[in-house]
Amino acid sequence: MQGLLILSVLLGAVLGKEDFVGHQVLRISAADEAQVQMVKELEDLEHLQLDFWRGPAQPGSPIDVRVPFPSIQAVKVFLEAHGLRYTIMIEDVQSLLDDEQEQMLASRSWARSTNTFNYATYHTLEEIYDFMDLLAAEHPQLVSKLQIGSSYEGRPIYVLKFSTGGNNRPAIWIDTGIHSREWVTQASGVWFAKKITQDYGQDPAFTAILDNMDIFLEIVTNPDGFAFTHSKNRMWRKTRSLTSGSTCIGVDPNRNWDAGFGKAGASSNPCSETYHGKFANSEVEVKSIVDFVKDHRNIKAFISIHSYSQLLLYPFGYKRESPADKDELDQVAKSAVEALTSLYGTKFKYGSIITTIYPASGGTIDWTYNQGIKYSFTFELRDTGRYGFLLPASQIIPTAQETWLALLTIMEHTLNHPY
Amino acid sequence: MQLRRQPLPAPQPGDPYPAAPLLALLLLLALQGAAAAAPAGSGEPEDSGWRQDAELPRGLLSQAARAALHFFNFRASSPSALRVLAEVQEGRAWINQKKEYKVDLVFTTELYNPEEGKEHLGKCSARVFFRNEKPRPAINITCTRLIEKKTRQEEDYQLYKYMKQLKNLLDVVSIPDSHGHIDPSLRPIWDLAFLGSSYVMWEKTTQFLHYYMAQLSSVKQWKTNEDAIDFDYTVLLHEFSTQEMIPCHIHLVWYPGKPLKVKYHCQELQTPEEASGTEEASAVAPTELSNF
Repeated sequence: MQGLLILSVLLGAVLGKEDFVGHQVLRISAADEAQVQMVKELEDLEHLQLDFWRGPAQPGSPIDVRVPFPSIQAVKVFLEAHGLRYTIMIEDVQSLLDDEQEQMLASRSWARSTNTFNYATYHTLEEIYDFMDLLAAEHPQLVSKLQIGSSYEGRPIYVLKFSTGGNNRPAIWIDTGIHSREWVTQASGVWFAKKITQDYGQDPAFTAILDNMDIFLEIVTNPDGFAFTHSKNRMWRKTRSLTSGSTCIGVDPNRNWDAGFGKAGASSNPCSETYHGKFANSEVEVKSIVDFVKDHRNIKAFISIHSYSQLLLYPFGYKRESPADKDELDQVAKSAVEALTSLYGTKFKYGSIITTIYPASGGTIDWTYNQGIKYSFTFELRDTGRYGFLLPASQIIPTAQETWLALLTIMEHTLNHPY
Repeated sequence: MQLRRQPLPAPQPGDPYPAAPLLALLLLLALQGAAAAAPAGSGEPEDSGWRQDAELPRGLLSQAARAALHFFNFRASSPSALRVLAEVQEGRAWINQKKEYKVDLVFTTELYNPEEGKEHLGKCSARVFFRNEKPRPAINITCTRLIEKKTRQEEDYQLYKYMKQLKNLLDVVSIPDSHGHIDPSLRPIWDLAFLGSSYVMWEKTTQFLHYYMAQLSSVKQWKTNEDAIDFDYTVLLHEFSTQEMIPCHIHLVWYPGKPLKVKYHCQELQTPEEASGTEEASAVAPTELSNF
C-alpha cells in the first residue's frame, strides 16, 4: 500500500516536477470523535497544503498525512496543543523516493551513479554506454566522451578521454573488446575507467601520470559484435560487416590493420574467424582508430586488450624479425607481468606475438609500432582455457585489478622514458 | 616458455632413442612405481629418418603436452580425477622426412577442478607422435603424484550415484551460461562432458591445432535406467590457432572403473554461418571403440 502511494507521489513528482525535500508523513491517532473533528479542521486549512493519504474517519483508525516542510512546525504545534498523538512515519519523503528510485533502477541494471554500478557482472552495450555518460557527468573536469566514428551497423563508437589539461599531451591508448566474445575485457575496461577517476588525486604515482599525460580508453571497440554476443551468438568474434560474394559475415578486426596485411597468419576465407577483410582498414571500427591515432600524433603507448591465455605480447605477429626495441619491450613486459602476478599469483607468459602465441598478420599493435608508437602491447587476460571466453563474472574484478597493476607499470615506464 | 635443456651428445642419424639424461629420468619415474602403464620409449619400432629438431617449432611441446593429457584423461575414464596442463618443464623433438614429429617431454599437471587450499600438482613424462596418416597422435604417458586410486574410485562412485538420480536434463542449454556460471548441481555433467570431449580433443590435436571445451551446448539424451550412464550431448570446442568454434555431437557411456566408450561427430571447420547443422562434412568419420 505504501509502495503504491509512494509510486503515485513519484509519478506526481515526475509529471508535476515537484520535490519533497523535508516533507514528512505523520500518522495521527484520534482517540475520540472530538479529536477526529479537530483533524478535519486541519484538513480545511488550505494554506497548509496537507496531503491526506488516509483521511480522518472514525476514532481508532490511523490518519496518515503528508506535511510539506513549511507547514511542519505549525501542524506539530497544533497536534501537541490539542493532545493529538502522532508518530513520524516518514522522516523525509524525498530521500525515501530517491532510495526507491535507486532500487528500481538497480534491479533493472540501470545505475544512477557509477557508485551503484555493478562492476562484478557483465553488462549490455546500453548499460556500458550509460555508464560512460554517468562517469563523464560525475567528473566533468577529468572525463570526456568522444565519438570517433560509427560502426558498420550505425552504432556510435566512443572513446573516453581522461585529461587534466594541457594541449595535446603525450597520451596512452587502451582498448578493450575488439573481439566481442572476450567479455572480461570490456568489463575490465569499465572497471579501469572508474579506477582512473578514483585514483587520480589519491595515488601519487598515478596522479603523476595523469598530470603529464592523457589517457584514451575505448571500452567497446566492436559494438556491433558485442550487441550480437548478447542477442544471438555469445561466441561471436568479428565485426558484423557484410562481405559481397559471400554469405558469411564479419571481418577479424585484429587482422585488418595495415601491417603485413594478408600475409601468413590471417585467412582470406570470409567464413573464417581470422578473415582479414578485402583490404586493410576495410572495417570502420579499425579505420576510426587509425584516423584518430594519425590525427592525434602524440600517442606514446598503445595497449590492446584481449582474452584468453594469460599473455603479455609485443610486436611482431606478421614477421619473425624482432622489433628494434625488443630488449626494452621485453624488460617492460617482464616488469608488468611481475606486477600483475604479485596480486593474486596469476601466471602470465610474455614475448613477441609470433613466438608466444601464433603468427598473426594485420594486427593492431604491429601497425601502431610501425607508426612509431614504441610501447605497443597486447594483453590476453584470464583464463588459460578452463572457462575461456565464458569467464565467471566473479573473476571480473580480480582480473581487472591485477591487469591494472601491469598497465600502471607500462604507463609509468612511458612517463619516465619520453621519446 | 622456459625450457631447461641439458647438453647432449650429437644425435646420430636414425637414432630413435632419447638422449641419455632424459632416458635416465624416464627410467627413474618408471622405477618409482608410476601408474600401470608402459614407460615411455619402450617397445618402439626402429624408425629411420628421425633427426633431432634443434629449433623447436613454437608451441610444439605445449601441443604435445595437451594431446598427451587429453589421452590420459580419456584413458583414466574418471570424471573426478581430470587433469590440466600446469607447465612444460623440458622436452625434445625429432622430425622425419614426412614432417612428422616425435616429442619427448616432461610436464606438471593441476587438477581440472581445483579445490580450496588443495594443490595437487602431478608430474608426467610422455612420448607423443604427431603422424600424418593415422588421424590421432600416438601417446605413451606416465604420471606420478596422482590422487590415490582408492580415493579416486570412491569419488567416481559418489559422482555416479549422484548422476543416477538426476532428472530433467533435456532442458539444459548452455553450460556455462553467457556469464560463465555453472549451477553447482550441474557441475558433474560438465565434468562428464569434458571427459567425453577429451577423447575428441585427443584425436583432433595436431602439432598446429589444439582445443578447449568452450561450452556444453545441449543435452540430447541422459539415460540412467541401466547400469551405466548413457550421455548424448553437443559441445562447442574452441580451436585456438584458427579461433574457430567447432560444434561436436558426442555420445558416451560411462560406468565407474570401466573404460569410457565414446562416439562423436564434429562439424567441418569454417562452415557458413547460416548453415549450422545442415552442412556436415565428415572429415572425421564417427570413431568407435572396439566394444561399443
